[in-house]
Amino acid sequence: MIADIRRVLPHRYPMLLVDAVTELVPGERLTARKAVTANEPWYADLPDDLRAEQLAYPQVLLVESWCQAAGVLATWESPNPDVLTGTVMLFGGISGIEFHRPVMPGDVVEHHVEVFRALTDTVMFTGRSTVDGEAALTVSRIVMAFRPASVLLPDSLGRK
Amino acid sequence: MTTPVRGPIHVAADGRALIRLDPDDPIFAGHYPGFPIFPGVGLIECVHRSAQVSAPGELRLAAIESTRFTGPTFPGDELTVTIKWSEVDDGWRCAAEVASPRGDAATVRLRYQEVPS
Repeated sequence: MIADIRRVLPHRYPMLLVDAVTELVPGERLTARKAVTANEPWYADLPDDLRAEQLAYPQVLLVESWCQAAGVLATWESPNPDVLTGTVMLFGGISGIEFHRPVMPGDVVEHHVEVFRALTDTVMFTGRSTVDGEAALTVSRIVMAFRPASVLLPDSLGRK
Repeated sequence: MTTPVRGPIHVAADGRALIRLDPDDPIFAGHYPGFPIFPGVGLIECVHRSAQVSAPGELRLAAIESTRFTGPTFPGDELTVTIKWSEVDDGWRCAAEVASPRGDAATVRLRYQEVPS
């Protein structure tokens, strides 16, 4: 399971935020799980007096986790876990993500991802995330773009 | 607060927020090994943290209305976040531009709701 995810995604600890794929129909849909724990580095060095809501899982990482699940679906049949060669998947943009409840350590998040539209070098996804069947996140649309890895190389960016 | 972007935020005299991407942030170790590049959600987090500094009251992030990523950012970059707040029907909208030393990096629109007291 996790070996399959590592086979298709270039992300690694502590930024590999999908733990298991529970259903996958290539080119169509995927269901995946992410177990949230206080043992992730975002929980390091926090003060002792935080309220419960201040200990919620970072909302942007919930989005990242959902996007990685989408990435597994998008690249399942032609994986490239190397970000320096071939074609890489880039986060093109978001329209309409809503947060419905906080996600806490101990929660298991279930991501539901559907392909909304697939073009040659762009895939659009829609879906939601739930915790114990309750909506935590709804995603209206996320765009992933497939580009040659060279677009990311510092030389092509004039990086100093 | 839990956050994947730890660096301190400095607010300049003109109201822009400045944040330096700490190369030691754990986010870079896994994104990606051997090729650290700041993830798009990291840019959203920079806007979110900058928004918390200038927020008109105690707010919770209710939605990411839209994002556009226009240029990659890397460890050590100093990012500038420019925010405009506007009141909307069900809370507040935060419209932000993020720039890196190389130019535009992202346009992000977030929506916040007031936390009931």
